[in-house]
Amino acid sequence: MTIREAQATAASAVVARRRAGRLHLSDWAVRLGSVALVLGLWEFAGPRLNPLILRPPSAIFRAFFELVGTGELQEAFGQSLREFAAGMAIALVAGILIGVASGRNRFIYNAIDPIVGALYSTPSVALVPLISVAFGRAAMGDEPRIATVALFAIFPILINTQQGVRNVDQSLLEVARAFSSSERRLWTDVILPSATPFVLAGVRLAIGRGLIGMIVAEFLIGLVGLGYLIIAYENVFRIDRMFVPVVVVSAMGILLMSFVQWIEGRVAPWLRREQ
Amino acid sequence: MSVIVRIAVEHATKRYSAGSVTVFEGLELAVRDREAVCILGPSGCGKTTLLRCMHGLVGLDAGRIAIDGSSVTSPRRNVAMVFQHFGLMPWMRVRENVGYGLALAGTPRATLDERVSRYTDMVGLNGFERAYPYQLSGGMQQRVGLARALSMEPEILLMDEPFGSLDAQTREILQDELLHIYQGHPRTMVFITHSIEEAIAIGDRIVVLSARPARVREIMTVDIPRPRTVASVVAHPRFVELRDHCWRLLRERAVA
Repeated sequence: MTIREAQATAASAVVARRRAGRLHLSDWAVRLGSVALVLGLWEFAGPRLNPLILRPPSAIFRAFFELVGTGELQEAFGQSLREFAAGMAIALVAGILIGVASGRNRFIYNAIDPIVGALYSTPSVALVPLISVAFGRAAMGDEPRIATVALFAIFPILINTQQGVRNVDQSLLEVARAFSSSERRLWTDVILPSATPFVLAGVRLAIGRGLIGMIVAEFLIGLVGLGYLIIAYENVFRIDRMFVPVVVVSAMGILLMSFVQWIEGRVAPWLRREQ
Repeated sequence: MSVIVRIAVEHATKRYSAGSVTVFEGLELAVRDREAVCILGPSGCGKTTLLRCMHGLVGLDAGRIAIDGSSVTSPRRNVAMVFQHFGLMPWMRVRENVGYGLALAGTPRATLDERVSRYTDMVGLNGFERAYPYQLSGGMQQRVGLARALSMEPEILLMDEPFGSLDAQTREILQDELLHIYQGHPRTMVFITHSIEEAIAIGDRIVVLSARPARVREIMTVDIPRPRTVASVVAHPRFVELRDHCWRLLRERAVA
């Protein structure tokens, strides 16, 4: 099923990160120029095309401080962050544990692969109403939204971890045996280090999916958090304010992914190859 | 004078693919103490499989291989192996790679550090202790592989085409360094190669295997005195005769 796909995404993520690590000054100039151009067009041409919907960036910037002033944004952000952090924590722990177990054990792999395959192939959004019902309409705590984030985030972590463990270089396993490695040292010296880049690539994919899960859950399960802000200001046509939580979510994604990228450089320095 | 046999291959048979492919059958071979034996044979004849059986990484289907009289069932700490593919851990620095076997053996810190430094120096890698394998050339990576095996101070060294993937110049430099190390401290060594020149330069004896299923075609003694260097071996009058003889043995089989 998605094995090749997961490998491809892991590999391309690694390649992309390597390339990103070697940006020259001229690359940065083009990148900044492109962003400035889009923002400039939006600012000056946008309101002329549709003054109601294409609110200029300066208006969104002002709306940001209005929402901070009323305290709405901080409250919604705190709410969303709690859900996201709890859901990601569950996805990380469960995804890595199941991924490692199924990567190393053929029985577990065969037992869970069809289920994981089916669930991963199903658009996770379609399962959100099920989560909502399963937790009961009465229970309006954060649990169903946390579960949604976990559902969205777990598969890339699980599948990448599994593939990382399965793809351990057989010749290195033989080297470990040739030097009489114990099973425990085999894990710490060979299997886990070799799976780490895969796991981290999975985590970066999971961050994007987890954020989608967070917003979808806030749309569909009891309007709260940043998702609520988006819907609330859409309903009153305050598009400038509607954009504020959108920008916040996007900033969350960018920051978290750069953070994982930074961790990757720390724990997997051998991937910083030049050629 | 009695000869001490360190490795005895007795009627060893190995099959693959549920018995349909016979890699070698009824193989007999004795490697003597402190002797360098080169096993020479055409590609795919099962040389590497034989070496892996000697180390207990794979089992035999019949017969047995004994080291110091007891059957080999799993790798032993007094036997160390150097791999054609180097087999370095990409996430370990040179120091950790060299000390890998020692660390697994539970060597005390001070001894480990001392040996790692000694053997890193011996293979000419001082200054590269903190480098990762990807930062090294192929030749340097295999120096790490060699140091990792030597640091175990093994009584028996198993070399699986260790220089096979290196360019000609690097290969000759490493052959010379191996000769230097071996001649400074002779130990039992089995060296797999498909290069006739390499077999003559390194070996005290050369075991020529046939194509699959591998049999011992001939065992010849390399009567070129030590200490040797690759240059001194090639210049020796016996070299051409030995090389032509090996050539004939390998070619007869290939044509047949």
